[in-house]
Amino acid sequence: MNALRVLIVDDSAVMRKIVDRSLRQAGLEIKEVFEASNGVEALARMQQTKVDLILSDINMPTMDGLELVRQLQAVENAQGVPIVMVTTEAGEAHVVQALSSGARGYIRKPFSSDQIKERIIPLLQGQK
Amino acid sequence: MNSEHEGVSSNRVQLIISAKSSGPGGFTSKLAGLPREEMQQRFTLALDSAAAEVFEMMVGTPLGPSDQASLPRVADYTAMIGLAGDLCGVLSFRWSNDSATQIAGKMLGTDEIASAECVRDALGEICNMVAGSFKAQLSDVAEQCMLSVPMVVSGKDYQLYPLVDGLRIQVSRSFEGALIWMTLDLHNG
Repeated sequence: MNALRVLIVDDSAVMRKIVDRSLRQAGLEIKEVFEASNGVEALARMQQTKVDLILSDINMPTMDGLELVRQLQAVENAQGVPIVMVTTEAGEAHVVQALSSGARGYIRKPFSSDQIKERIIPLLQGQK
Repeated sequence: MNSEHEGVSSNRVQLIISAKSSGPGGFTSKLAGLPREEMQQRFTLALDSAAAEVFEMMVGTPLGPSDQASLPRVADYTAMIGLAGDLCGVLSFRWSNDSATQIAGKMLGTDEIASAECVRDALGEICNMVAGSFKAQLSDVAEQCMLSVPMVVSGKDYQLYPLVDGLRIQVSRSFEGALIWMTLDLHNG
């Protein structure tokens, strides 16, 4: 697997750091990490940047993660990029809503690096 | 919430948290059949288990048993999150400054002293994750229980008055030799 360019979207800087660290602990080789604190910032980033993976929280100010996933459908750089929701809202309704909006995976906070590995590696391998 | 549990030194600031149900919710709607003691036990176990899970996975340090006799109750930071829907109330956490700084440092993966902003961010996230994990364990209310944005208060000069009239659950644990404690105040429906 090539080194990855990843976009991490979360309104908590501490959580963005934890997600970044967990990806590395999961054994993924990270080339570059971009950060955004809400959906609007993430959309702006995706207009300019190509990434291999997007990890996004759901509950964020300005634009939440579900709306971000919907709007990314129209962004050329986001086509085919797996989007994984990382959130405390892990009820069945939220999972269904996220997946039907276009997310490819779902990770409940709190999470371990093993869970990151289990959910993300198959998505990245499926891309090839 | 009495001052013994607050660790407060004066009434200079008063926080009044209204946690009234907006509809026919309250915990009575789906849990009304449960005896109060059973509900208390179930919520206590869920809260304890949620906190243990979050600290192990996200802080990297398991919580220890509570030793209230020897550990002082120091609340330099209070984090709160509201619950609405089938479970309606407020979940609050209290930490000393040392514990809060250590938690933030461990979450950031650094030995350097975290900034006040990072400490507040870390405590808010802990509060959010414990509340999320807590409600996820209560499968009969999880889908219809929403969480508010967490809020963090620093300082001791305040009193907290959650305007709820139902159950109060208190769980305390030790973290790196200091006491931390959680209080869940639930509205009665």
